[in-house]
Amino acid sequence: MNDFKINSDHKIESGFKIPEDYFENFSEKVLLRINKPEPKVVSIFYRRKTWISSVAAILVISLSVTLYTKIAVKSSEEKLTLENYITNQSEISQYDLVALLDAKDIEKIKIDLKLDNKKIEEKLTNSSDIENYLTE
Amino acid sequence: MEEKEFIQNLLNPKTQNVAFQKLLLDYQRPLYNHIRNIVLSHDDTDDVLQNTFVKVFQNLKNFKGESKLFSWMYRIATNEAITFINKKAKQNGTTSEIVKVKIIGNLEADSHFDGDEIQIKLQKAIVNLPEKQQLVFKMRYFEEIKYEEMSTILGTSVGALKASYHHAVKKIEIFMIKD
Repeated sequence: MNDFKINSDHKIESGFKIPEDYFENFSEKVLLRINKPEPKVVSIFYRRKTWISSVAAILVISLSVTLYTKIAVKSSEEKLTLENYITNQSEISQYDLVALLDAKDIEKIKIDLKLDNKKIEEKLTNSSDIENYLTE
Repeated sequence: MEEKEFIQNLLNPKTQNVAFQKLLLDYQRPLYNHIRNIVLSHDDTDDVLQNTFVKVFQNLKNFKGESKLFSWMYRIATNEAITFINKKAKQNGTTSEIVKVKIIGNLEADSHFDGDEIQIKLQKAIVNLPEKQQLVFKMRYFEEIKYEEMSTILGTSVGALKASYHHAVKKIEIFMIKD
């Protein structure tokens, strides 16, 4: 055979065979799959991840709430005792307290006295002790 | 029945079941042959054919009617079959070409193949062709799909399809006279 013409010779079939009863229940198989929607596949790993993170979240929240309330109570108690100590302790003089103040604290307690000359004069003339000051 | 009317029946929940049954009966055989020519084994064809009809059903609402139902379904079947064989190749750490060559090399042992020597030789000739030429040749020669229809299924111009088929035939004829 020197020549082979695929379109002029008798047609060659593919040779693939379909099992005899294959199409008898094929549509049933498909309809069953269509009517029963496939469940969403959620991997175990993913499930475990959400489980772990929710437990972690609960732990963090409960811990932080208890810790916060404890710390808050403690700090207010501490402030009160400190204040009582300072006011009741006669050994601590005002100078001691002043020595503890830094520039910022001083700035805070500074009161701006707007004194003008007129007011000072008025005050001085009304005061009966003016003579004493002058002689001094 | 007009195709438009049939599509309406497929979309209407009341008539959907009957219409889809008809769709199954009309298309199961031609789509089986089409898929089988790509994936080659019967069991794989069964999987892909089921997936194709499930996908068709799920996407009916998106079917715009711009193309014919026929070419739309063939397009889905072709995509499903090609995706399947690529996935199978990947799972085996090889290429789709090698997967197909292996199946064709084993045709004599396949209980769902009853071809003679010439039929086996033709399958061997086809599997050696470039991917696109294989598809075009099978669709034209075995399935007798018109070039115009093939063009809407594969999104390739009629001219290019004819050229592919011509090249395929030339190579097959050379292969067939070799020992």
